[in-house]
Amino acid sequence: MSAIRVQGLTKSFTMKHKQPGLSGSIKGLFKPVVSEKVAVQPIDFTVEQGEVLAFLGPNGAGKSTTIKMLTGILHPSGGEADVLGYTPWRDRQRLAFHVGSVFGQKSQLWYHLPPVDTFELMGRIYEVPMNDFRKRRDDLVERFELGNYLHTPVRKLSLGERMRCEIAAALLHRPQIVFLDEPTIGLDVVVKAMIRDLIREMNREEGTTLFLTSHDAGDVEQLCKRVIVINHGQVILDDSVTNMKREYLTHKTIHLKLAVIPEQPLLLPGVEVVKQKGAGLKLSVNTVETSIETVLAYIVQNYRLEDVTIEDPSMEEVITHIYAKAGKEQGHESSG
Amino acid sequence: MRARDEEHKRRQDGSNGPIMAGLEAASVNERTGRSASHTPWQDGERRGVSSLAVKLAKYTAVGGITVRNHVAYIYDFLLRSLFLLVILYVFLQLWTVTFEGEGTSRIAGYRFDQIIWYLIFAEAIIMASPRLSLKVEEEVKKGDIGYQLTRPMSYLLFHYSAYMGEAAVRLVVNLAVGGALGLFVFGVPDWGFGWVGYLVMAAGAFTVNFLITMMIALCSFWIEETWGIEFVYNKLLFTVGGMMLPLETFPETLQKVCAWLPFQTVVYFPSKMAVQFDALLIGKFFVIQWIWIALLSLLLALLYRKGVKKLNVNGG
Repeated sequence: MSAIRVQGLTKSFTMKHKQPGLSGSIKGLFKPVVSEKVAVQPIDFTVEQGEVLAFLGPNGAGKSTTIKMLTGILHPSGGEADVLGYTPWRDRQRLAFHVGSVFGQKSQLWYHLPPVDTFELMGRIYEVPMNDFRKRRDDLVERFELGNYLHTPVRKLSLGERMRCEIAAALLHRPQIVFLDEPTIGLDVVVKAMIRDLIREMNREEGTTLFLTSHDAGDVEQLCKRVIVINHGQVILDDSVTNMKREYLTHKTIHLKLAVIPEQPLLLPGVEVVKQKGAGLKLSVNTVETSIETVLAYIVQNYRLEDVTIEDPSMEEVITHIYAKAGKEQGHESSG
Repeated sequence: MRARDEEHKRRQDGSNGPIMAGLEAASVNERTGRSASHTPWQDGERRGVSSLAVKLAKYTAVGGITVRNHVAYIYDFLLRSLFLLVILYVFLQLWTVTFEGEGTSRIAGYRFDQIIWYLIFAEAIIMASPRLSLKVEEEVKKGDIGYQLTRPMSYLLFHYSAYMGEAAVRLVVNLAVGGALGLFVFGVPDWGFGWVGYLVMAAGAFTVNFLITMMIALCSFWIEETWGIEFVYNKLLFTVGGMMLPLETFPETLQKVCAWLPFQTVVYFPSKMAVQFDALLIGKFFVIQWIWIALLSLLLALLYRKGVKKLNVNGG
């Protein structure tokens, strides 16, 4: 059964243009020049219940406009959407009971109060009966390991601790769909891994449908099975993450610090030295041609190594690749 | 069985009182279909509980958490209300000279101590009013209002509960500081039911103040800055609202004009009832105050509906 079904959903805004100068401002008061800006072109997609979807795109691509339409805040200019059997913009309040949201850059916790107070408020707002609320809260506190700072004012929590509380707060009413917007932004590696674990667990155990937007390639790789990329209000990729990785996450970067300046050049198929400065090297590895393992084994065998780090391409790079490809294909279509 | 439950619910919703009814009507999309009791929890425990009680619990919880949150600021408020002492000291001096100059024991029906207590109460209300428009303007401009709308609650009632919670904390602090000064200068006053009168009128006063300030704040859907309008409104409260002077001290024509404005209900009504309690007058004040509340709720509801429509259509 599908949790979200979108058909031909489109949104355009009217925008006022101001002419330059004071006379322009005055003219604008009486005779505003307006134009129409298409934020989302007719898009179609379906998200199955229990699916974990990455919804990606650069700033201004139409991501948040789409999410706003799916939560009922924005009325579309055309098309249809069905979220858990509701039409979001007609049944916003009723839908709200079944939807949760976590915005990495916005907090729903009360700053001066301990998380337990916000939890209670959330229970009330979502009309969860007291008994159910307590059971659910205790369960989440245990799973998210919040016991130690449940009674500490939020302002004294670290970002990682706060984020765990944010997610727990969004789950108290057992939402069927959770919108996650940059849930790991600003967190360190360890906390990121922990948050991802929790998100995965919630999906596995409760079958929660997850709709994730993130600029973090790790989030997408480790959490999602499917990815939709939009740009200029159009879906330019709708595929499995495995496929996307095979096609676009083909390069990794290795930073090497050797003990001595290498004498012999590094020659391996699919490996390119991007930069060399003394004993420091930056390599780009095409993982389709040569696996990271092979490259590392080769280096350890031939050089004396001091330090090594391996980097995934950033989501920006991957998406840039996708855009470039989509752009080319469109170019071919229009010229063909 | 089900039909009877529905009927029961409807009847209870109907007895919501003007402010609740007005504000509830304000939430666009919120009244389509069934009431908000449609929750994942509904099939079970919920059936016997009336949806009104659940809704009420929702907003009292908001009020409660605001109170707790602002208790964290209590030293802030205390510090700020020291300014109240400065103002009151100046007025104390001014009125001493005025009473001496007039050579009478009463001016416009007020004794010297009554005038000063009147000022303490009036200032306490003004200085306890939360800076709502700043908060709402920010929410509208940054688009946070959208996220608030994804929750199953009315935006206006949420802010109303939070406003009243904050106002309550600040009022207590101001009354403690101002009251200490009053007690120090005049000793224990004898107002009879003045306290009750003040509290009853203050609840309505903050409600009117909320409604007007919220309307000003919502103007940020259409204009860039609402600060100017708020400035003018505050000055109106200072003058024709009766903060600086009780309305009786005004010329008769001006008094007649003030009687037709809502500003008197915010400052003059509660302060007057505190120092010169009158069982008949409070009835009249109460009716006038609540007529204004009904009227302003309706206006706010319309404005909000228009604003949300703009947000729905044009993204704010």
